[in-house]
Amino acid sequence: MSTSENLCSIEPVEIAPLAKIVERHQVWSHMAAKYGVENPVPPWKTSLDGICDALDQGGCGPEILSFVDRRNEEDTLSATVYSNLPYPENQLVSLAHSLVARGVIDETELQERLTGIRARLEAG
Amino acid sequence: MVDEITDFEVLEIAVRELCIEKGLFTADDHRSFTEFAEHIGPTPAAHMVARAWLDPEFKKLVLADAIAASREVGVDWLQPTGFGTPSDFTALHVLEDSPTLHHVIVCSLCSCYPRPILGNSPEWYRTPNYRRRIVRWPRQVLAEFGLYLAEDVAIRVEDSNQKHRFMVMPVRPEGTQDWDEDQLAAIVTRDCLIGVALPKVGVTSNAITDTRPAIHPANH
Repeated sequence: MSTSENLCSIEPVEIAPLAKIVERHQVWSHMAAKYGVENPVPPWKTSLDGICDALDQGGCGPEILSFVDRRNEEDTLSATVYSNLPYPENQLVSLAHSLVARGVIDETELQERLTGIRARLEAG
Repeated sequence: MVDEITDFEVLEIAVRELCIEKGLFTADDHRSFTEFAEHIGPTPAAHMVARAWLDPEFKKLVLADAIAASREVGVDWLQPTGFGTPSDFTALHVLEDSPTLHHVIVCSLCSCYPRPILGNSPEWYRTPNYRRRIVRWPRQVLAEFGLYLAEDVAIRVEDSNQKHRFMVMPVRPEGTQDWDEDQLAAIVTRDCLIGVALPKVGVTSNAITDTRPAIHPANH
């Protein structure tokens, strides 16, 4: 049995809202340098960790996206469609990709939510 | 501060909100795990090793029951849920080095790591490149971290798995005879606890290691 064949079946296809984010490339290293900030990781990193742990344990999370599948797909996507992103940006975008690929999040719904959240955050 | 809203910040919120709305997890779950992620780090593990170097009785406890020894340095592996995190469980083993045996840890399957006591794993630890190569060519990979071991030092690579976590107790270095626990803990870096470095007087930071892509990516 080839283990590699069983590791991961995620398709490294382009998902439009995520492709736009990759293209804009507002990665933490650039932003931190631009604003003279020294934190090694972006402020949303621990919240992303919280999402991953909560998915692994909460409600129906593990049935939809198990821990092993999540990590395998992150490895595959980070080496392919998101190879231009550093960590942890590649972890975040890969997670979103896995959820869209499973139909948990609809691509249009994701784009609308991204637009809505940005409007909210900029409404200050 | 970064006075600009980035796409990644927005995406993290979007994914979180949608997961909560769709019932994948609750807001309380998320908050609890995020708080856990905020406070973990390698300091308790460094103190566990430093105290074991100073106190033979504590060292026995570390080697016999690392979960109990963790509590002595302020880490309860049952937190934050009452039965541990979903991926860490409550099984820690401390691997004692000797002058002729060196341990190094890996998770060849994914990125299992003793997070409650060591914090989040470094980026390189997660990569397929490290995970594959440390198993096949440990001596060479350790040399890439700047750790050159003599040929008469055996290397044991311990593969973490979903039920067991490991960390390394290195040999106490020369030149630390009169040191107290805090002084010793300062040189027990995260890299030493993984096994890609040895504690050394005057060295209190980790190696900065480039993350290399795997030559044969995960699906091939």
